[in-house]
Amino acid sequence: MKNKPEFSTRILHVDLDAFYAAVEQHKNPDLQGKPVVIGASPGKRGVVSACSYEARKYGVHSAMPISIARRLCPEAVFLPVRMRLYQAVSAEIMEIFTAFTPDICQISIDEAFLDMTGTDRLFGSIEETGMLIKKTVKEKTGLTISIGAAESRFLAKLASDFGKPDGLHVVEKGSELDFLDQLELKDIWGLGKKTLERLNDLNITTVKGLRDFSENSLKTIFGQSAGGFLFRACRGIDIGMYNTPAKSNSISNETTFQQDINDRDVLERVLLELSHHVMFRTLKENKKSKSIAVKLRFSDFSSTTAQKTLSHYIHSAEEIYSISIELLNSRWNGSSSIRLIGTGLLALEDGDKPEQPELFENEFERKIKVEKAVFRLKTQGEKITKASLLNNKIKPKKE
Amino acid sequence: MKFTCEKNNLTKEISIAQEIISSKNALSILSNVLLEADNNTLTIKATDLKVGFETSIPVDIAVPGSTTVYCDKFLSILRSLPDGDIEFELKDGKLYIKPLFKKINFQLKSIASEQYPEMQSIAEENYFVIPQADLIEMIGQTIFAVSDDETRYFMNGVFMENIEGSLIMVATDGRRLSYIKKNTAGTVKPFSGVIIPPKVLQLISKQSSGEGTIQVAVTEKSIFFKFDNQTISSSLIEGQFPNYNRVIPESQSNELTVKRDELIEAVKRVSLLVENKSRRIFLNLTNGLIELNSEESEIGVATEEIECAYDGTDTLIALNYSYLIDPLRVIDNENIKLLFTESNKAITLQSAEESDYFHIVMPMQLD
Repeated sequence: MKNKPEFSTRILHVDLDAFYAAVEQHKNPDLQGKPVVIGASPGKRGVVSACSYEARKYGVHSAMPISIARRLCPEAVFLPVRMRLYQAVSAEIMEIFTAFTPDICQISIDEAFLDMTGTDRLFGSIEETGMLIKKTVKEKTGLTISIGAAESRFLAKLASDFGKPDGLHVVEKGSELDFLDQLELKDIWGLGKKTLERLNDLNITTVKGLRDFSENSLKTIFGQSAGGFLFRACRGIDIGMYNTPAKSNSISNETTFQQDINDRDVLERVLLELSHHVMFRTLKENKKSKSIAVKLRFSDFSSTTAQKTLSHYIHSAEEIYSISIELLNSRWNGSSSIRLIGTGLLALEDGDKPEQPELFENEFERKIKVEKAVFRLKTQGEKITKASLLNNKIKPKKE
Repeated sequence: MKFTCEKNNLTKEISIAQEIISSKNALSILSNVLLEADNNTLTIKATDLKVGFETSIPVDIAVPGSTTVYCDKFLSILRSLPDGDIEFELKDGKLYIKPLFKKINFQLKSIASEQYPEMQSIAEENYFVIPQADLIEMIGQTIFAVSDDETRYFMNGVFMENIEGSLIMVATDGRRLSYIKKNTAGTVKPFSGVIIPPKVLQLISKQSSGEGTIQVAVTEKSIFFKFDNQTISSSLIEGQFPNYNRVIPESQSNELTVKRDELIEAVKRVSLLVENKSRRIFLNLTNGLIELNSEESEIGVATEEIECAYDGTDTLIALNYSYLIDPLRVIDNENIKLLFTESNKAITLQSAEESDYFHIVMPMQLD
């Protein structure tokens, strides 16, 4: 048995402030200090992906329809999402963190947990460590970050939100409840809108008030798992947040159209593009799957999902595409208008799992090889796009 | 319609009819069995629109006629009745079922036989004749290798073709393939290769006695079998069966002979600890020895050594153990031969003595 380290656990939650907007503002200094909204172009359909703090003052927030953002803040600079750029900057920042600890758990493009347990002698107190990380990131990228420190991931995450933006908040051992009591219920990570409403109905409006309820009564009111979560959350007991690396059991991509679509050519081309994205991400994560699902949302907002499981692993975008078309046909009459279309792989398995090769050269086998080669090139930074994905005027002749 | 017949004679045929009928909806005519009494013969028909079954048994007919009844309940009633003669009478749209000399009376609602789907049929001169035993062997050597992956619908059946007077059956799921060729001395009529759904082949294996002959007729869309008073037909699977000749190894440099039962028993034991999803079992072949190995898992590990005749180079082969067990079960010899070139090329399993069949399996990745 390993001896437990004598150090107390120290977790940092690092959050990049208004990340997309900050990257844009940093790349283009003219935008600094101005409200910046990133998402769909105004006038078109779509939502706000991110916005700068300046825009937030006007009430703009992410997931808000772009048209409303436009109304709230007409002078804002509206920019399209440049995901590749943000990903590159994110990777650069994560690289900076590796100088501080090997134990990094990145949970999204702009958030990570750093386990700093036992690093006191290297970087000093946790405040000093936090300041040093903030300073390094600022120097190297020009971006500001918020850091929360606590003994658990759950509290560290709440602490970083608490200090935002450009904050550093440490929840000292023994002061966890005091920290929690400063928060509003809606600030508790993982507390959904429905639960909040229900709590409000019960006249529970503070974290402290929530602590008056026994675990049993919370479980009776909210059910086993939500009740258990509330009981632990209001006491600052770790809720088991990302204890294991976030495991995605599916990989999917979807597109919402600017205008509803009922043109088969367009739908098929979009599906092909989505299939390529999905295959690329699946290869990148070293996963494989036998199941494909296609999601459709029609103009009346009704949604449907069709899925299919094969007896062999899917290794090519072409195969995802051909099955997606089949699934599309099973749920679409060919004329109703479609608002959203998506495809993805379900029930992902480890990409290294032993495989049963085929006797016959699979019709997709050649394409698998191409797929893997393209993957290699793309990861080396080459730009490759399928001819059929290029938006050219000349359509290939159909046979 | 009114006739009398012995309980067990009828029950046997109705139970076959019930196996074919796939619909379990009491109101659908497809859940019904058709009864047709004429010329002192009762003709029984059942279909799921793909497979059709028709048989006849001698009965005493008082009034000829025909009707259809819900097969599932009809069979339950027949099974429940005491042995002996039963009288059947159609009155006011109901089939009265009355065992003679008993105070039992069932009335089953019927649907008129005119509404029953037309059965496929084919003119007598299209049939050719082969021994039942041959056909049964051919089915047995191949049917287990059929794919159940609907996306590979063209592999969802057994491929049958006539090459220069020999009847060939092949089945594959893309990873293993089973092949049998019977010399028919030119009795088989020429036809182009067809893919036969397994359901009809299972039915024939079950129904036939293995003695005497069976008549077979093949058209572009259907296949017909006639034996012992019964006609069984089936629609065929449309599609292009893969070019199987391409994957049959021309020559394999290594050969190993082993007792069939010993290998089966060893595989069964070692597979107990094989990871269930991949089913990968390792065969380590060395001079005179096969070592079977389950690969260490969370649960544990199993190994077993069995003797064999082998003097080739040491080779490690990984296989899906079902792909090993399935052919071993049907190879009709106490010794089997395993032929291979190297661990990532197809291996062949066959009888140690010359036979009409062989089985090809694609090994799994070693790491």
